Amino acid sequence: MSSLKEKLNNGSFVLTGEIGPPKGTDIEKHLEKAELIKDKVVAVNVTDLQSAILRAGSLATCHLLQQRGIEPVYQLTCRDRNRLALQSDLLSAWILGIKNVLCLTGDHTSLGDHPEAKPVFDFDSVHLLKASSILNSGKDLTGHDLDGSPNFFQGAVVSPGADPIEPQIIKMKKKVAAGAKFFQTQAVFDVEQFGEFVNKVNGLQVPIIAGIVILKSAGMASYMNEKVAGINVPDGLIKEMKNTEKSDIKKKAVEIAARLTRQVKPFCQGVHLMTLGWEELIPDIIEQAEIS
Amino acid sequence: MHATIQKEMDVILTYLQPDEKIYVVGCGNCAEKCKSGGPEETEEMAQRLEKKGVNVIGYSSTPSGVGLCSLPMCRKMMIEENLDENNAADSFLVLACGQGIHTVIDATDGGEVHPGCDTIFGGETEQPGIVKEYCSLCGECVTAYTAGLCPMTLCSKMLLNGPCGGAKDGKCEVDKEKDCGWHLIYVRLKDAGKLHLLEAYYDPKNFAKWSRPRSLVVKGTEATFKSLAGEHTVSRED
Ligand code: SF4
Ligand code: SF4
Repeated sequence: MSSLKEKLNNGSFVLTGEIGPPKGTDIEKHLEKAELIKDKVVAVNVTDLQSAILRAGSLATCHLLQQRGIEPVYQLTCRDRNRLALQSDLLSAWILGIKNVLCLTGDHTSLGDHPEAKPVFDFDSVHLLKASSILNSGKDLTGHDLDGSPNFFQGAVVSPGADPIEPQIIKMKKKVAAGAKFFQTQAVFDVEQFGEFVNKVNGLQVPIIAGIVILKSAGMASYMNEKVAGINVPDGLIKEMKNTEKSDIKKKAVEIAARLTRQVKPFCQGVHLMTLGWEELIPDIIEQAEIS
Repeated sequence: MHATIQKEMDVILTYLQPDEKIYVVGCGNCAEKCKSGGPEETEEMAQRLEKKGVNVIGYSSTPSGVGLCSLPMCRKMMIEENLDENNAADSFLVLACGQGIHTVIDATDGGEVHPGCDTIFGGETEQPGIVKEYCSLCGECVTAYTAGLCPMTLCSKMLLNGPCGGAKDGKCEVDKEKDCGWHLIYVRLKDAGKLHLLEAYYDPKNFAKWSRPRSLVVKGTEATFKSLAGEHTVSRED
């Protein structure tokens, strides 16, 4: 049984982390990052060619986490695989003992480091969730019986800062109908906006895990505001970062992440910490956020 | 219409052998609207090639308004009107879309052809010289649910159930100049009071209807579309 599922089902406040596979074969240091937070989080997401940049696979990395006793959340995107490959990879994941899958559309190929690649998008994320639900039921997408079937705990993503928010919420409802059992969100910095979003979707009765991205610099915050959809870092936070001495920047990053965690906690069932290489800060964030 | 853009002269020249006798063929319909191969551009291409030392033995285009991709019209031009030159030609440089290129092969009973254009998409001619793509010819139109706007074309990820999280200020994540197709669809559905259409679930696309090559055969009031999804026959009689 997925511990993530168990914890969310019994109403615990969960913490999850995230790692990205290596660009190459040198995976050890990536696994070590996960080891660092192993006892602090219930599960660790593994990204799937994030930003359409070629890396080693999410599935293999999830498997290695699993072997080290770390529960993975297998991120799976629709960008690079058609419906045959998606279903096949889901079956493979289950065979390898992976229980959680996060179903994503995926960033467009043109944004990555192989912009001439053929974007697949045979499915959208709603289709992928539905396919996973159908596999869970012992069939494949075209109705054939499976010889042994998975029982995934499948999640999806939503962007609470999207403008307009209405189509996001409509799609979120479709994802729930297709079998999404939990949601991870785009990075939250504007807590008020997040609270409003949660009020709008409360009726869905599905656990929401708020995305918390560690702020590494004021520049990073401004960059995200300008370039990344659905992210709104308030001016106050940017100023705070600006006024921090370089030597204190990690301390400040911890302080902000912990504060955001405390602030979003009343609205959600957990926090997904995206520490972008600064995984060693997670224990401090947790301590300062006063959650355990 | 099929939008086309001429290949660069340097590229075209790489296709041609020294002393190859070339006949330039143009199209008076789409290629004329794109200024890539109408009667004027066909004549112009013949002259440009001659200046580069190419042995051009003739040129012709279907008349304004007539597509080269109509085999009867193409035959008329190539066989009835210009038979001698066509017989003398080693090959045909076609200033038209890929359909036109194949029509020339058919009209000349297997003649040798060179593409003079890149065929880039099927589009709406806003005005001569300005063409924009609104349909990807997928074989089964879903725009009844999307306020007439094609998600297979206007959404960079061909999503069917609503927007991804990548849109910013109504623009798509792939290019901040490009409208997010789903934002456009959402606004039009909302304005029309039809957001329930966005709430409905849509199955994955049947890509077998988007297999290639496909064909259409019309007999009387019955039309049959053939693809890897099988034959789909529709009658105009109710
Ligand atoms: S859905 Fe789009 S690509 Fe398909 S026929 Fe309609 S407009 Fe064309
Ligand atoms: S931003 Fe809009 S148009 Fe671009 S891929 Fe996402 S939904 Fe499609």
